Amino acid sequence: MAKYYDIDDIITEEEILSVIFQKAASGVGIDPSSETGYIETGSKVEVPFWLSHELQLRQVVSINIPSCFDQKTRLEIQADCASVDLRSRCPFFYEFGCKIAPVVGDRTIGFLLLSAFKNRYKEILTKAHSAAFSSASKFLSVLTKEEINLYDAAQSSMTSFKKWRMGGPRFQKASVLGRKRRSTE
Amino acid sequence: MYGRKACQLVKELASGEKGQLTPFNSDLFEQVVAECTQHHLELQALIRKMQEEGLDVQTTRNAEHHGALIRHLSLVRNKRCLMAYVYNRAETIQSFLWKIGHVLPQEIEEKLCHLEVEYFKKHSAALKSYMSKMQLDLTVDMVPPKDPYIQVRVLDDIGDGIVLSDDKTANFARHSMHFLKRTDAEQFISRGLMEELTG
Repeated sequence: MAKYYDIDDIITEEEILSVIFQKAASGVGIDPSSETGYIETGSKVEVPFWLSHELQLRQVVSINIPSCFDQKTRLEIQADCASVDLRSRCPFFYEFGCKIAPVVGDRTIGFLLLSAFKNRYKEILTKAHSAAFSSASKFLSVLTKEEINLYDAAQSSMTSFKKWRMGGPRFQKASVLGRKRRSTE
Repeated sequence: MYGRKACQLVKELASGEKGQLTPFNSDLFEQVVAECTQHHLELQALIRKMQEEGLDVQTTRNAEHHGALIRHLSLVRNKRCLMAYVYNRAETIQSFLWKIGHVLPQEIEEKLCHLEVEYFKKHSAALKSYMSKMQLDLTVDMVPPKDPYIQVRVLDDIGDGIVLSDDKTANFARHSMHFLKRTDAEQFISRGLMEELTG
């Protein structure tokens, strides 16, 4: 419950999964193909994780492995981890994988996440501490949200170090205020 | 699909820069609340249907029950998104007090809804009464101090006759340089009206 108010957690749980209904449900409009709002047993529907997780606990649905953890992605990760575009698959790849693993009952997801993270982390470390902004932006577009947080933390620690080294004004204008107003105002 | 609009509201929060606020989206907020009411009505209709058929509402697991379950879960999800939206905005507003001071500039105030402005005022009043009881000003020294005095240059016209903490008045015309006590200068620097001069 510590993550109740956490925005990233809420957005992670919004990821879509495809589930198969084991029992029927009436009076709901989630399935766009049925007009009456009645979902038949055995029908395949796309629902967000928060709904499918609860329904699976009560054995109303069964969950299939989502596409971001399928065989194609696994092969790509084994081939060349650092350049796999994880963000387009799922911007919260690691968090989502951690949530999915106990639900789907697939033991290999944990190892997949670990190996992907280990290999990508090396790239993140080197790029974050050295690269200039222009070359980094291409690399940034393939990172997941969690990796971007690490990257930003490294960048900000580098800038703080440089600032400390060079001296300079320590009092800053509050960053929330934005740019100076136009002189006509 | 249920919960889309609520998630959109939360994503708006995530899309702003860290520490910045987007304008309060009251339209979307009200739409989500309306969706909650809709879910609640449908939920009650399903429960009534089960009762009419003479089924025990607590234990039967038929199609209506699952439908009611889905409605209930969507309602709880919407609630979570709304609460997170308001809570995270409130946290950001609290941090404004420490970064900018007790008076909100116009550009920030227009992004808040009037309840949030009230919240800021009350928070600021609470902090002031606490500080006066402790006889300690907690909003200075946000950066560890090195020197009791610093050199500043004035960037914007603040005016003259400003009373400083040692009861002297000063004339802060644009581009003038002053040698002030750090605690006085800090509030002007954080609002962008002065800049610190080093070396």
